[in-house]
Amino acid sequence: MTTTNYDQRLVKTKNPYPRGPNDWKRFFSFNTDAKVIGIQYIVTSLFFLLFGGLLGMLVRGELITPPSDLFDPTVYNGLYTMHGTVMLFLFLFPMLSGLTNLLVPPMIGAPDMAFPKLNALAFWLVPVFSIILLLSFFVPGGPASSGWWSYPPISIQNPLGKLINGEMLWITAISLSGVSSIMGAVNFVTTIIRMRAPGMGFFKMPIFIWTVLAAQLLQLLGLPALTGGAIMLFFDLTFGTSFFRIEGGGDPVLFQHFFWFYSHPAVYVMVLPVFGIFSELFPVYSRKPLFGYKFVAVASFGITILSLVVWVHHMFYTGTPLWMRNLFMFTTMLIAVPTGVKVFAWIATLWGGNIRLSTPMLFCLGGLFNFIFGGITGVMLATVPVDIHVGNTYFVVAHFHYIIFNTIAFGIFAGIYHWFPKFTGRMFYEGLGKVHFALTFIGATLNWLPLHWAGLLGMPRRVASYDPEFAIWNVIASIGAFILGVASIPFILNMVSSWVRGKSAPPNPWKAIGLEWLLPSPPPHENFEEDIPTVLNEPYCYGLDKPFVQDEQFYIDKSYKRH
Amino acid sequence: MLSENKNIILNHKPGHVKHDGHNMTGFIIFLCSESIIFFAFFVGYGILKVTAPVWYPEGIEGVAIKEPLINTIILISSSFVIYFAEKALHKKNLWGFRSIWLLTMLMGSYFVYGQYVEWSELSFSLQSGVFGGMFYLLTGFHGLHVITGILLMGLMLYRSFLPNNYKGGEMGVESVSLFWHFVDVIWIILFGLIYLWQ
Amino acid sequence: MGYWSYSWLPTQASEAAHYVDNLFAFETSIGTFIFLGCTGTMAWILLFNRASKYDESNGQPIEGNVKLEVIWTILPLILVLAIATYATKVNYKLENLGSKIKYNFDQEVPFVEEKKVFDFGPIDVISRQWNWEFIYPNGIHSSELHLPINKRINFRLITEDVIHSFYVPAFRLKQDIIPGSVITYSLTPTKKGVFRLRDAMFSGAYFSQNQTNVIVESEEVFNKWINDTVKKELQNGLNPAGRLYDKRLKNGNRGWATVEPAPAPKVQDKGFEERPHDG
Repeated sequence: MTTTNYDQRLVKTKNPYPRGPNDWKRFFSFNTDAKVIGIQYIVTSLFFLLFGGLLGMLVRGELITPPSDLFDPTVYNGLYTMHGTVMLFLFLFPMLSGLTNLLVPPMIGAPDMAFPKLNALAFWLVPVFSIILLLSFFVPGGPASSGWWSYPPISIQNPLGKLINGEMLWITAISLSGVSSIMGAVNFVTTIIRMRAPGMGFFKMPIFIWTVLAAQLLQLLGLPALTGGAIMLFFDLTFGTSFFRIEGGGDPVLFQHFFWFYSHPAVYVMVLPVFGIFSELFPVYSRKPLFGYKFVAVASFGITILSLVVWVHHMFYTGTPLWMRNLFMFTTMLIAVPTGVKVFAWIATLWGGNIRLSTPMLFCLGGLFNFIFGGITGVMLATVPVDIHVGNTYFVVAHFHYIIFNTIAFGIFAGIYHWFPKFTGRMFYEGLGKVHFALTFIGATLNWLPLHWAGLLGMPRRVASYDPEFAIWNVIASIGAFILGVASIPFILNMVSSWVRGKSAPPNPWKAIGLEWLLPSPPPHENFEEDIPTVLNEPYCYGLDKPFVQDEQFYIDKSYKRH
Repeated sequence: MLSENKNIILNHKPGHVKHDGHNMTGFIIFLCSESIIFFAFFVGYGILKVTAPVWYPEGIEGVAIKEPLINTIILISSSFVIYFAEKALHKKNLWGFRSIWLLTMLMGSYFVYGQYVEWSELSFSLQSGVFGGMFYLLTGFHGLHVITGILLMGLMLYRSFLPNNYKGGEMGVESVSLFWHFVDVIWIILFGLIYLWQ
Repeated sequence: MGYWSYSWLPTQASEAAHYVDNLFAFETSIGTFIFLGCTGTMAWILLFNRASKYDESNGQPIEGNVKLEVIWTILPLILVLAIATYATKVNYKLENLGSKIKYNFDQEVPFVEEKKVFDFGPIDVISRQWNWEFIYPNGIHSSELHLPINKRINFRLITEDVIHSFYVPAFRLKQDIIPGSVITYSLTPTKKGVFRLRDAMFSGAYFSQNQTNVIVESEEVFNKWINDTVKKELQNGLNPAGRLYDKRLKNGNRGWATVEPAPAPKVQDKGFEERPHDG
């Protein structure tokens, strides 16, 4: 259904890495090539997706029955806390850093990132803080068990009174993750601002670059607030200070402000690059220009700016005054507008297109479908009275998993499949990809759709046991979770075997427009090296008489030359 | 897809992109981020001061201003001094640069010393309630940045002795100078919050 | 869909519940409309615009349409502002939240004069890791919250350790309880029955056990309960967490770290753990 015609002469090439050393060891070294670092990030994060998924399945295993019968409740609390933490800080952020590393330099025609050594350093912090976080399973008292929010006073209770405890390691790991992310953000923003190809003004950049710029600016502005709060929490825990400890006059709600000032923009940091991926892929697989490119680009920044002033919507019932709740309800509602602009733009991009349902497109469509649903429940949560009823229940859990997994992870899978041929030089197995999509979509829907109703009926979140009336929703959800676990099998099989022995990939298997598609698969060490194309138009002009770069045919021919 | 004649160059002119000069951009972006950590601490200080039922620890009614004020004057002056050092470097007056630069380092070191003296004379500790915690957190973090600045300045001083380092060294000096001004501005806000707003 | 959404929620047991449910139904209707509109369009496209197997030709070269863009920016803007305004009105109608007064940890919980008129109260709601205690104005301590129907009742929400949350799904009301502060809260129950009160802010190992019942009864039954209970002796109240913790200790204290549960509150009415609830 979706095979493309590509040059048969290239199919039989034995060695798809003509330039770079075909040496697997380069992925285990302090390599400064952004493409290598990107793959290092991506593969590392996929390991943690599996580990986080395993933790999630353990959680759902406990929740398949009302009483707390699988683990001791303290173990359950540690498991769900680590599930959230691993998924966010060891899977999502590194994965997005990886995709960004891989895609930004080729897409803007740069040879590498602005600060390659800093880039490598930022990556190598990931194994460091990952190990610190995982070690927390083995310290006396177990890992951090207060949720990924780690609200005081519960998070600083430290029942065993030990200096090295799970929570302390958690804060250390998260802080290091923040350092790594800020390093990355400085790098990405500098690269995008200063290293674009000649002719590539801001309004000729791919949308992915727009969304990355928006997301990384958010990291720069928001992460330090979290770091500040984390330092204060660490001091309270370890040195007995009283920033959030009421015995000394501190205020627990202050931590919530610090935490959410970053963590709300953080969710936009996660979703914006995926919006970028959707914006890149829909035009390719509908063979139509992106509808309203300028609006979509500006909407990314609208989201960025608004996301900095909505954080209190996570605190509507935690002790904030009414005027604050009303104010933040209004600002939160406003974010729906630029987001809606993007959603409508994607649907309009599909309209009248020549749709090809390959695996990346399936994941994009599934992601968009889920996002519309998740976005609507988000608007519901933005209204204070409804949030007061469903806040901190499974309605919220269902909503954010719909965004984080059913939208963001779907988008990530779409991106991985779409750019896999470009960066590995191999084609993946389309059939396995479709199986992966089907299982993932079914599993994800079964897992989180029913939980909306559990939340509406009043089932709190983070509980190890619950009243029997919620049982049916939880049974369905747990089945979905196990299906999701199974869904990872075709994905892993596909990735590994395709990379090792897949068909050799041509420079542009999807016939897409973009600077990265004018490079060989995989691109040479410094991408375009000394000869960077001059960009004439944005990369979405399918069917229009607007050439992408000057001397386009020259670069196309060059990309086929393997030596 | 492939052109018939792969050897046609089509009057092709390779495009180039500058690959240097990014360091300053990156450093400025980094400084903006750093300032937000301090900003977060400042906001925390303000909120806790206004809402805490008990602000100062028992027996404390405030902190003395005199010595910190002297420290502040020295630190602010050092920002002017470092500016003259930069100017000297521009004029390629290497020994002028080195001596004024060293003066800046000494002024910074005096500030750190003054901070240490103040700390040792205080009767409350890090654990003394909200004020104790915030005081030591803010001044401690700031002090850490001052020490880092002095170390970076030392590094620049050392590099100024390396032969032919003039062209590369100037960027480093500019960055460290910017960092020093940043540290200074943070202190001014800090001084206002802790010592003036009592 | 709007009508159907009412059935997704628990029974309406407080004055606030109607307003919240109406808002939710409104949102569900609009949401369904938007969802079906978008996904319907997508389905149409997928059915009728699919490329055949080897067809790699381009689709229609439409780059954009400024009028359409403006419409779908302005219309959603108006819509969300309308919803937000409606929600603000509901907020004011709920009128539950009173003052939040911070106090020094080693002081007594301060008493605050509230300006609004209440029919009954204040009832002190004490939350702990992991049980609830309710102290009535005449000195009754109870493990379950008895309330008279159709009266506006005033509470003082107090916690002795970490952040908890006073959540009664049937009332559609939730308020976190912050240590170091006493929060004044009020509500009006409008339906007789037994409703669950759950702690909705994660508070530690046995957080899921931190639940009890709210019993809304007619004024006569309520007054009778008051008169009967005040004469009773103090005994240990509901504390399922304590029971589970003892079981854990008997099994060799296996598991990760936890603080010890607070001892069971000393109450005159120790409640009934297996009591069936209506919502």
